[in-house]
Amino acid sequence: MKNLFRIAFWEFTKRFKSRSFLFNTLVSPFLFVLILFIPIYFFQYSAEVSTKLIGAIDLSGQNIAGELQSELNKNYKLENNTPEYMVLKISAANSDAYLNMVGELRAVRHKRDSIFTLYNNIKKERTAYYKNQRLKNRQYLLESSYNRLQQVREERELIDIELNRYQNALDSLYKFEAKKIADSLLTKGVINSYLTFTDDLEIEYHTKNPGDFLEWERFENILQTIAIKKRILNDKIERGRVLKWFRPVKIRKFHIQENSDREWNFYIQFYGPLFSAFLLFMAIFTSSGFLFSGVLQEKSNRVIEVLLSYATSGQIMGGKIIGLSFLGFMQLFIWFALTIIFIVSGFIPAHEIDYINMANAFYFLLYFFLGFLFYGAIFTTVGAVSSNEFDAQQINQFLRTIAIIPMLLSLMIFTNPDSELIRILSYIPFLTPFFMIIRIPLSAESLTNEIYLTTIVMLLSNVIVIYIAAKIFRMATLMQGKKPTWSEMFYWLRKS
Amino acid sequence: MQDNILEVKAVNKTFYEKVILENLSFKVEGGKIFGLLGPNGAGKTTAMRILMNILKADSGEILYNSEPRDKKSSIHFGYLPEERGLYPKASVLDMLVYFGTLNNLKKRKAQVEAIRYLDRLGLVDYSDSRINQLSKGMQQKIQFIASFLHDPDVLILDEPFAGLDPINQVVLRDILNEYKKMNKILIISTHQMDIVEKICDDICLINQGKVILKGKLNEIKRKFREDAFIIEADNPLTFLHEIDGINIIEEQNNAYKFTLNKPKLTISDFFNMTKGKIKLRKFEIVEPTLHDIFIKLIQKEMQNTNNQKVGL
Repeated sequence: MKNLFRIAFWEFTKRFKSRSFLFNTLVSPFLFVLILFIPIYFFQYSAEVSTKLIGAIDLSGQNIAGELQSELNKNYKLENNTPEYMVLKISAANSDAYLNMVGELRAVRHKRDSIFTLYNNIKKERTAYYKNQRLKNRQYLLESSYNRLQQVREERELIDIELNRYQNALDSLYKFEAKKIADSLLTKGVINSYLTFTDDLEIEYHTKNPGDFLEWERFENILQTIAIKKRILNDKIERGRVLKWFRPVKIRKFHIQENSDREWNFYIQFYGPLFSAFLLFMAIFTSSGFLFSGVLQEKSNRVIEVLLSYATSGQIMGGKIIGLSFLGFMQLFIWFALTIIFIVSGFIPAHEIDYINMANAFYFLLYFFLGFLFYGAIFTTVGAVSSNEFDAQQINQFLRTIAIIPMLLSLMIFTNPDSELIRILSYIPFLTPFFMIIRIPLSAESLTNEIYLTTIVMLLSNVIVIYIAAKIFRMATLMQGKKPTWSEMFYWLRKS
Repeated sequence: MQDNILEVKAVNKTFYEKVILENLSFKVEGGKIFGLLGPNGAGKTTAMRILMNILKADSGEILYNSEPRDKKSSIHFGYLPEERGLYPKASVLDMLVYFGTLNNLKKRKAQVEAIRYLDRLGLVDYSDSRINQLSKGMQQKIQFIASFLHDPDVLILDEPFAGLDPINQVVLRDILNEYKKMNKILIISTHQMDIVEKICDDICLINQGKVILKGKLNEIKRKFREDAFIIEADNPLTFLHEIDGINIIEEQNNAYKFTLNKPKLTISDFFNMTKGKIKLRKFEIVEPTLHDIFIKLIQKEMQNTNNQKVGL
């Protein structure tokens, strides 16, 4: 019995002083926070360091660009309160091609005007002929003026068609020229992107960076509202009513729990439990990883044979498990202490975070212990059956990959912590600790029964895996240079 | 002084349907060095592991002074496995103290003993070094210290001299002699037959899990003596071929190995017959080496096994 504690003490002190323990305890959590927050920071803040210039080619004739600007001003501001977006109206009115065509159009319009004048004059002339019945050659004059009128009418129709054609050509030339200007501004980096609006509210978004979905999502939402507003106004509905309909709503988020009803803070409610699951993950895999590497090392450098000659395999395995579970608890207590320091120093707003409490600290310890025993026993077995370092490295990598799965799966919980699937998965021992530690703060219902049941399931699974591990550990650790086959392992389970 | 006796009695061990030890029995007396010999795969390591309680025998007993080993918890064992193993990142002293305390030494006592042995083996300056900073030879010495730091009653050493330089071999032999004087039980397994001949009192030769020879080393050597002689002269001794009753086994550069194969012919008769004909340089009675006995017996065993297989 004494040897059990001697081994436990040795394992604890040996690992406690190791660099990897310090790293996993103090550096990894901060790295995790950095990894979590750096992309968010860049995503949300770095984009806002200066006002973005957004080009707008407004062919709608309804001043959509102007409205877009005012909506963007209302919704998106930089930290210094200046607008995040400036809408730059891009006009082709001064381009040579456009000016030429405008000249031509003017000439056509002028011609049309003179044809119109001529037409009106002839009409007047005819009216005079018509009224003056005593006029000589009246019939002839009426006929000839009629013919002229017909001729001018035809010319007028032709010039109308031509004018219309010119008008259309001018519009598309305008669009073409404006796009040419916008493209060059975009390429030169003067503007970040540009939008075009047609009169029937077809919208195009042009950008060099297709990944800026944050931007186009914002524009899309605002333009959708503007378009609806315009369409309603076009249906002759009173402006005041329309504006009333479009009054923005603001959602305040509340998280309903059994006894409390708190305003919901995304960062606290999402990242908090995720971070605690990460810490649990770190604690379990730091200690069980040490267990795995310890067994493997002792097997590969043959210390195990010396140990087995002085202590029983049960003492060795038990001592390791006790020593390293204390190491894990030590890691958790360091984190608890750091949490308290952060709370006292005001770095963590504990009054806003209702899941920082003693009960949850206890669950954290409980699920750490259950998870550590489970993964530790499995890792010990795997370490014991590995025949060499290379083998072990491969298995190690495989285990790391396997170990990340519960972490990734646990992200599913955030969408619905009480769904049927999540409940069922919570009873799978591989996932139980991580799932439960996220569900406890997030669930809307009391999980007391589930905590009892999952604890029982974990305890039973631990009895089974530890039994198997102990049987295989004893025999497999003495085998050198050869990996035991499955049939050998089953034989040990039956016989030993 | 108490008569310490460790007895292996009819021990059997099968491992995954394969017989490793079959009815293995031998007795080791305190104050004598016992050599457990055998070719690779003979079952020596398994036998030692059973002695050390690392493995359990399927049947049979290990007795210490006629009492089952398991019941004598006060008896301390020291073990040096063939495959040496230490914690590479631990400090020398920490690790020795750890092994010492696992063998029920008080921490203080373990420290004192560790430093004493480190000093004796010239390693005291490395007490605080990490194991992986030491040379292979130094690590080997640390391993020795780990096996007898706690002053065991039974010391089992598997290939103790492998990789040791001659000076350290002498130091180790001195330590073993001290143990011998203290009437402790010493079991050594090795393939270095010259060392066995130099230090062992009793031996047990096993092959395929069975004892094929055991007893006192000098008696065994006497038993395997061929009654052969070697004579070496300055002149060729071709006439020896013509003497009735002399059987020449080997002949090389005026040196002849021979036996007398006539019952009444003695070595004095041989000298009388050859008087004046030999310019004698050397004459000796041939003693078989353990190496020869080992090879001869193992080969004979293998032949028997093959014959049995053919017979089947």
